[in-house]
Formats: sequence, C-alpha cells, structure tokens
Amino acid sequence: MKHLYIIAALMLLWWLPQTVQAQQYTGISGLVHIPSAEMNHEGDAFIGAHFLNKAMTPDIGFLYQGEKYHTFDYYVSLTPFSWLEMSYVCTERIYRKDAQGNIVNWSKDRYASVKIRPLKEGKYHPAVAIGCNDVWTSAFFPDQHEVQLYFQNFYIAATKHFEFKGNELGLTLAYRHFYRDYNSKWNGIVGGITFRPSFFPQWRLMAEYTGNDFILGTDMLLWQHLRLQASVKDFKHFYGGVCLQFNLLGDKYLY
Amino acid sequence: MYRHNSIRLGFIAAVFLALFLRAGQPKAIGQTSSPGIDIFSGLDFNFKDMDFETQYKFLIRLTPGFKWNMGNHWQFAGQLQIPIVNQYGIDYSFVELRAFNVSKEFNIKSLYLKASLGAFSQNRYGLDLKAFLPVCDWFAFEGQAGYVGSVFLFPYWEIVAPNRFVGTIGGDIYLPRWNTQFRGVVGKYLYDDIGVEGEAMRHFNHTTISVYARWSNKFSFDGGFKVVIMLPPYRRTHRAVNIRPASNFRMAYTVMYRQLNNRMYFTDPEQNERDGWFSRDLLHWGSHNMEPDFIIKEKTKK
Repeated sequence: MKHLYIIAALMLLWWLPQTVQAQQYTGISGLVHIPSAEMNHEGDAFIGAHFLNKAMTPDIGFLYQGEKYHTFDYYVSLTPFSWLEMSYVCTERIYRKDAQGNIVNWSKDRYASVKIRPLKEGKYHPAVAIGCNDVWTSAFFPDQHEVQLYFQNFYIAATKHFEFKGNELGLTLAYRHFYRDYNSKWNGIVGGITFRPSFFPQWRLMAEYTGNDFILGTDMLLWQHLRLQASVKDFKHFYGGVCLQFNLLGDKYLY
Repeated sequence: MYRHNSIRLGFIAAVFLALFLRAGQPKAIGQTSSPGIDIFSGLDFNFKDMDFETQYKFLIRLTPGFKWNMGNHWQFAGQLQIPIVNQYGIDYSFVELRAFNVSKEFNIKSLYLKASLGAFSQNRYGLDLKAFLPVCDWFAFEGQAGYVGSVFLFPYWEIVAPNRFVGTIGGDIYLPRWNTQFRGVVGKYLYDDIGVEGEAMRHFNHTTISVYARWSNKFSFDGGFKVVIMLPPYRRTHRAVNIRPASNFRMAYTVMYRQLNNRMYFTDPEQNERDGWFSRDLLHWGSHNMEPDFIIKEKTKK
C-alpha cells in the first residue's frame, strides 16, 4: 500500500507541467556552488532560503568567538530578460550570544548578484555567461572595507546540453575568481555535470567540483512554484534550500 | 519676504486657473472615465534592518481613502495613513493626512497636464502641476513643479505657509517589445536638495519591478529596487459607489536607507510607477498600451 502511494505521487508529479532550471544559494541559476551559463526563464521571480553549512561559508565574516557556525541566507531574484538575472541576498551572521550560548541577535550580510548571458546555446556551441556575486560594498565603518565582500567573485561559464533517448546531460565549465584571499581556494577552473532522466525530467542530479570540494546535489520543482534543493559536500556536509517561484509573464513551461 | 511669496503664490494660482479654464473647452477634454466614488484601503508596508539589536523593524500603516471621479477627469481624493504596527518610534505613531486634493487631467494637443490643489503625501500641501509630452512611441519628456508648505494633523494641528518650490524635469524611454521603461530626471526636492534619479523598469503582467539609483547634493548616493503589484480582483464592476481594495501594493527598497534624499510627494492616493501620473484612457503611451490590469464592467440598471 505504501508503494502505491509513492507511485501515485510520482505519477502526479509526472503529469504536472513543470520546468526545472537551476538554483544556487544566491537565487541565480547554476549548480550548487558553481555558476553555469543556464538561465531561468524570462519573467521568473524567486523568493527563497538556503541552509549554508559552515563547511561552505567564507573563513572570515562567519565566525563567532573564533568558531565557524552553520547559517542560512534568503533571497529574491528576478530574470527580467532571457539574458539577464539579478538577485539580492541576505546571509545571517551571529551578532551576539548570551551566557548560556544561545543566539540573542543575528545581523546580516547583504549583497547583490548579476548574471548576463551574451551567447545563447546553439546546436554546436555552448551558452556562455558572465557574472558577479556581491557586486559592491556599502560598509558603514572603514575597517569593514578590509574584510567585507565576503562572497564577491567574478566568473565566465560555458554550458552545453546533450540529449540521448530523452535524457539530458549538461556539462558546465567555468573560470571563477574570488576577490578576497580568504576565498582563494575556490578560484580557478570549476565545473560540473547535470543529468535529467527521461522518465522524470523535472528532477535533476548534479555533481560538481568547486576548485576545492566535490559536491553532489539534486533539485526538483513541484507544482510549478515550489523548488527544493539538497546537496552534500564530500559526503559529509549537508546543504539545502527551498524557494517559491513565479513567472510574472504568466508563462508555463513544459520541459 | 512675505509679500514676495504672496506675489509668487498669486502668479501660480493664476496660471492654474488659466489652465483649468483652458481645459474646460470641450475640444481638450478626454472624456471616457465614468463618474463615481471609489472607497478603498491598502497597506503601507515598511521595514528596515539598520539596527543590530533586531532583525527587522516594521512599520505597517492602513491607508483608507476615497476618490470621487467627477467626470471629465476631474477628481477629488482623500486618504489617511493610520499606523497599525509601529516599531519605528514615536515619530511614526500619528495618523497622517496622505491626500486631500482636487485634480484635473487634460491635454493640449500632445501635451498632457495634471494640476492638483490641496494636501499631498509627505505632509505637504499646495499646488502641483505635472506635464508629459510624448515625442514618439518610445520617447517622452516629463516635468513636475510644485509650490508647497507643510501640514500636520497630529499630535497637534500645524500648518506652515507654502514656502518652497520643488520640481523635476526629465525624460522617459519606453521599449514596447520588452515593456521596458527607462526614466531619468533632475530636480529640486522637498528638503532643498538638488539631485538626479535614474530608474529602469520592466513591466510584467500585473507587476512592475524596477531598479533605481539617485544622488542628491545634500544626502549623497542611494539606490535599490521597487516592486509594484496590481491587486486583484482584476475584473470589476463599476457602480456609482465602489468599495474595493487598493489598486496596487507598492514597495521601495533603499540600500543606504537615506530617508530624505530626492524626496517628492505623491498627489494621487494610488500613485505608482506602473500607471504613471495620468489616466489610462487619456494618455496612450508606455505601459498604458499593455493589456489593462483591470477589466471594468459598467453596472447598468434594468
């Protein structure tokens, strides 16, 4: 009986007209931690939150009394045109704990991201996109200028998809450079593979190399508006996110 | 000084009167709006995160108002702003008058004008004139000029005679294929600052999202994004008296939380960047050429 429920749920998901693009913790399309040249659909708006394991946060800026901690971010993002994505992200930071170690106050790091795709994917060539995370700083105190821009990086990415028997394989290769030295472990060539099975194309599996870590992940869009993502770094450290998405042009996409 | 202001006030009043009389000539009237009274309410939603002790502070105000469309694009409108959640402090705890004014829209050939007289948002009152001049399908000039004083209802009645000229002038570019609009203006603003603003808007179905940047000589740089959502129901029946939700929810996010730079009042209780200053049935330019947000059916008596 339990199996029947699962099969019924999978059939229900199958018949819903859905689309899956990508989701990162920034609200910009990509894999888990690395960018790609895929784009969300024109008019897509996202509101989401993501759990950030301390294993993947910058080594400076997310410390409390010298120790890193798990945190989360939340974001809004928009694809006003098929070639442009923008997002605005707030990442929570512990501001103060009480004597018992309970978190009393959170503060937040805010940043904007933008991605532009000058070259759309063709039959024989990949899509190419350039972008930037954490575009500029609005630090109020001079000493903050020395360390802020925790997430700033610039990248150029190329993505090509291949189809075989209804399955889709995506290859992404990117060059990424983080502005701060404390993030330099993620600099250089990064890349990943995505796979959508023909029997359930709304589901995507991902494997990526961030320049320092290997991440396996999966995401899925449910009922056209609810997007889920889960991933694991080095088979140990969990990441996860959820977001609501809407197409402001009223478009519905079949994969 | 007082005499000087009186002369200026008299001159502006004469200009307004002349424009109203000019507008009264039948050839210049855009006459498609049906007369009626709309009673509505929305929410003025504000939050800020400039305090390390709290995640966010909220200020939510109810904005009940009315619009009496008297025909021929004459309108009498009023609106209050009533705080229901206030974490901003005592300065924001009072009921404010957001609009109580009479206005008239009209056109002289391709020049569209809107004159307003009365109380506006930002606790201002006085005279205001807006002008819009479409040059072609994709470009238009715009300008606004006002002569205003201050008025406060609570905690005690206070009124300061009009003493300040404000105004902006600039242009709009509209790309119909993408329903995208760029707006740029320079101006003198409510706090005597001189500044410049630029905004890029993308109009979607029932929603407009924009990014903007602004600079003023007193308060420096600021920027952010705005969201305007036209609120359902999108099919409405028009009666002599209509009770409805506000036409839109508007939110502006500022990165630097500069409260005073490039500040200008609104004259219409439901003014927003998507609709612009003029009625859809009078000015056919820009987002007014998109599918209308509201399909309004006239209620006819059997």
